[in-house]
Amino acid sequence: MAATHAQRSTREIFTTLEYGPVPESHACALAWLDTQDRHLGHYVNGKWLKPEHRNSVPCRDPITGENLASCPQAQAEDVAAAVEAARTAWENWSGLPGASRAQYLTRLAKMIQKHQRLLWTLESLVTGRAVREVRDRDIPLAQQLLQWHAVQAYTQEETLAGWEPMGVIGLILSPTFSFLEMMWRICPALAVGCTVVVLVPPGSPTPLLLAQLAGELGSFPGILNVINGPASLGPILASQPGVQKVTFCGAVEGGLRLLIQESVWDETMRRLQERMARLRGGRGLDGAVDMGARGAAAHDLAQRYVREAQSQGAQVFQAGDVPSVSPFFPPTLVSDLPPASPCTQAEVPWPVVVASPFRTAKEALAVANGTPRGGSASVWSERLGQALELGYGLRVGTVWINAHGLRHPEVPTGGCKESGSSWHGGPDGLYEYLRPSGTPARLPSLSENLNYDTFGLAVPLTLPSGPEIGPSPAAPYGLFIGGRFQAPGARSSRCIQDSKGNLQAYVAEGGAKDIRGAVEAAHQAAPGWVSQPPGARASLLWALASALERRESAFTSALERHGVELKTAKVEVELSARRLRAWGARAQAQGHLLQVAELRGPVLRLREPLGVLAIVCPDEWPLLAFASLLAAALAHGNAVVLVPSGVCPIPALEVCQDMATLLPAGLVNVVTGDRDHLTRCLALHQDVQALWYFGSAQGSQFVEWASAGNLKPVWVNRGRPRAWDQEAQGAGPELGLRAARTKALWLPMGD
Amino acid sequence: MPSSFCVFKYFFEHRYRHYQRAGDCDLSWISKIQVNQPAVLRRAEQIQARRMVKKEWQAAWLLKAVTFIDLTTLSGDDTSSNVQRLCYKAKYPIREDLLKALNVHDKGLTTAAVCVYPARVCDAVKALKAAGSTIPVASVATGFPAGQTHLKTRLEEIRLAVEDGATEIDVVINRTLVLTGQWEALYDEIRQFRKACGEAHLKTILATGELGSLTNVYKASMIAMMAGSDFIKTSTGKETVNATFPVAIVMLRAIRDFFWKTGNKIGFKPAGGIRSAKDSLAWLSLIKEELGDEWLTPELFRIGASTLLSDIERQIYHHVTGRYAAYHDLPMS
Repeated sequence: MAATHAQRSTREIFTTLEYGPVPESHACALAWLDTQDRHLGHYVNGKWLKPEHRNSVPCRDPITGENLASCPQAQAEDVAAAVEAARTAWENWSGLPGASRAQYLTRLAKMIQKHQRLLWTLESLVTGRAVREVRDRDIPLAQQLLQWHAVQAYTQEETLAGWEPMGVIGLILSPTFSFLEMMWRICPALAVGCTVVVLVPPGSPTPLLLAQLAGELGSFPGILNVINGPASLGPILASQPGVQKVTFCGAVEGGLRLLIQESVWDETMRRLQERMARLRGGRGLDGAVDMGARGAAAHDLAQRYVREAQSQGAQVFQAGDVPSVSPFFPPTLVSDLPPASPCTQAEVPWPVVVASPFRTAKEALAVANGTPRGGSASVWSERLGQALELGYGLRVGTVWINAHGLRHPEVPTGGCKESGSSWHGGPDGLYEYLRPSGTPARLPSLSENLNYDTFGLAVPLTLPSGPEIGPSPAAPYGLFIGGRFQAPGARSSRCIQDSKGNLQAYVAEGGAKDIRGAVEAAHQAAPGWVSQPPGARASLLWALASALERRESAFTSALERHGVELKTAKVEVELSARRLRAWGARAQAQGHLLQVAELRGPVLRLREPLGVLAIVCPDEWPLLAFASLLAAALAHGNAVVLVPSGVCPIPALEVCQDMATLLPAGLVNVVTGDRDHLTRCLALHQDVQALWYFGSAQGSQFVEWASAGNLKPVWVNRGRPRAWDQEAQGAGPELGLRAARTKALWLPMGD
Repeated sequence: MPSSFCVFKYFFEHRYRHYQRAGDCDLSWISKIQVNQPAVLRRAEQIQARRMVKKEWQAAWLLKAVTFIDLTTLSGDDTSSNVQRLCYKAKYPIREDLLKALNVHDKGLTTAAVCVYPARVCDAVKALKAAGSTIPVASVATGFPAGQTHLKTRLEEIRLAVEDGATEIDVVINRTLVLTGQWEALYDEIRQFRKACGEAHLKTILATGELGSLTNVYKASMIAMMAGSDFIKTSTGKETVNATFPVAIVMLRAIRDFFWKTGNKIGFKPAGGIRSAKDSLAWLSLIKEELGDEWLTPELFRIGASTLLSDIERQIYHHVTGRYAAYHDLPMS
């Protein structure tokens, strides 16, 4: 009977020439789940951990809703057990020679190769993604990641000298992640010698399978531990003793925004719609579909968005051969969305594309940069000059010219603005899990006493306090904003005492309005400074160094009044000048070229300025720390707002006098005043693109908390002094890394 | 009555199409074109992995692929005996019992055409007539494969092949004109080929392996279509690089653009290097994806191949019997 049916249908298909199902058998995925009796646990220290009395959450097939297995929700003690395992493993793992870690990563890559069918069917089964995508892209990339990082581990002693692994890394995955995103993070961590605890949302077995594959290599149980639990366990994971860093891993690719030039709008839309009509959707495990489904929640999200867009006046085009039931959602093209409508501002869900027209490339750049997101973008143009200009101008982590979605272990991927400031892959990815050798470990405890609402809110009042016995000529008075000294908005001053407790001088008491003015001035100066060639930046820094040396006596006497010995003061001035020169020289060697095997053409690793960088300088080394931080920031093209040493701001103000004549107005702004108050103003300023803070532990904690508002990258010292006179801490590569962000610019070539 | 109706219809359609095509050479259609090669390569890579057919679908698609084949022999040692054998194979491409097992034996399954050198056209016409078949005979012409002979002899070659009974002429274009950018001259040459063909179909071979860039491929495709080709064909099968997916994508996009501009559907023929059944499936899905189902007919899609047919027959054998065929299980062509 079945045979005749088959024959009849061959005859039918001969006429219709339709596509048929290409089911990928997922028997091996089910068999693997059976080995755990369909009851998964956590994978800790090289074995399954199945604690009793835990709530369990079902792991479901997102398309059929079938219950595949159950996963226990972790509790605090499970998290503690995993961190303990990782900490124990770290002691051994971090001490190994890089070559041994390289060997282990290579073996893991082989292990994935051997069990790839299990991996891809399991991943497609539980996520609903097209199996083709997982099989042809994710699995090979996972192996490449391991292999590339194995090479990095092998050469670690040589290429990463002066850096050491951080320790235990906590990784928190979002509910809709791909296992590949996890690989991007664990590979560099393991390669450099860290160990990892991964907190996966319950119902995602692929990370558990990976941990099992790693665990079954035997030699190093506990370097990769996976526990199931809600993201609310994150703070518990972060507060475990030994956890040095917690990273988050966002969702897989969402929807897209498309900007199309008006002159080719009709043609492009026509071609886009034609192509969309041929897309096929269906069960992820079908080998001939372009897109799977991502569960009912994703479907509802897309549906809500599309309905809302329609109600706001948008045109909606849907096409493609996609089942018309939830959770399947057809590829959707939304156009004519009014720019001010809420949907334009909202994040576009998968699988929706929102197209809008633009008139000129400049306008397109303004629109693209005008969003809080900054992950990746692609530029399609046949004019290389224009494409490159857009590629350089886009404020995102990755730009593909005439291509989209390419990734390679050697090319760093990351983002800026709200897309986060951490990097995966490439050299940048390695530094995420390293710290300069000798840096003490991070203590997990956060101060409970810190009141975020009141920290630095009030400014202590300053009254006249005795006769001014300042040097002659008197130190400059005012806030250095926009290239000149200005009176503070509060029209009040604070007194600076010398080492003997006498009043040395009054400096201006800066406040929120002054910070606002300084940031505005910096923003105005920033584009001009960025467009300066590195050589020009270098010569200005060198000129500043010369000015410093010319007025050596003024600086040394200012330092001496603060109790610095003459000899040390001389060294400090001399070193400060040297730092300015050194960073000036380094400004000329930025970024480099990567060659990716699969791509014909280069990938440029660009180092771009952060934008407006705020720096709260430490109290110690009032001139040297100021000059070191300033030089690194300027050399990388940033515009700066600085808060100088609180106890001794005079040398910094003296430098301002030189900068007023040498540097473009507004490039460097120096605001004196109450450090806590100014720190608060800077951290809460949404248009400050990065913040470095060298001060108290409490201040550090506040900066980290407050900067979450715009996810600006921060660098804090947690109350620990740095040896600014030492090369490693005062001028080491860490400053250079922090002072710029990376952009990967993919340039495929061919005619 | 029905047959005369058919003839009239054919005549009318043909004339009508001819009238439509006799347009001027509009260089603005090609002047701004720039093909994005990396993107084309990527699309080509994806499309091969994204569309698979299995089981009954595979069998049906393979049988359909048979109907697109221009069964070809283009060797120096062709004689009337192997041409005769080829014609017979064209008439009976798949073993009758296999077709019966699949219940398609009444579909009159043959290849689309037989393709030979001009000197063998007579043999092919005679053999097909003897076999009682109406399968058209295609002849290569115009100094195939290099095209480096005088225009006069190239035109005469077409006329002689048509005289001998070829109803489809596969001409090669003059690569020199493409590489030196003489698009109007290329247009004029193909116009003359068109005229020399008379009622015969004109298939224009672009020899894409020798055109230098994908942008040139697009431009040559457009010129060939503007000049009145019924088909554009990738290669002679004698170049070092033959029918590849990237080149095909560019040609198919040109066909689509031409259709959008004029409403005329031009056919596509990849040739050279298509040997396995699996390849043929990929080509079918490429046409389906890029141009749509309406192009999946022998009037608009051909595959130039010589050994492909026997591999398809082996796959059909396997589908029906569940066994792999021995060499002697299937008749040779």
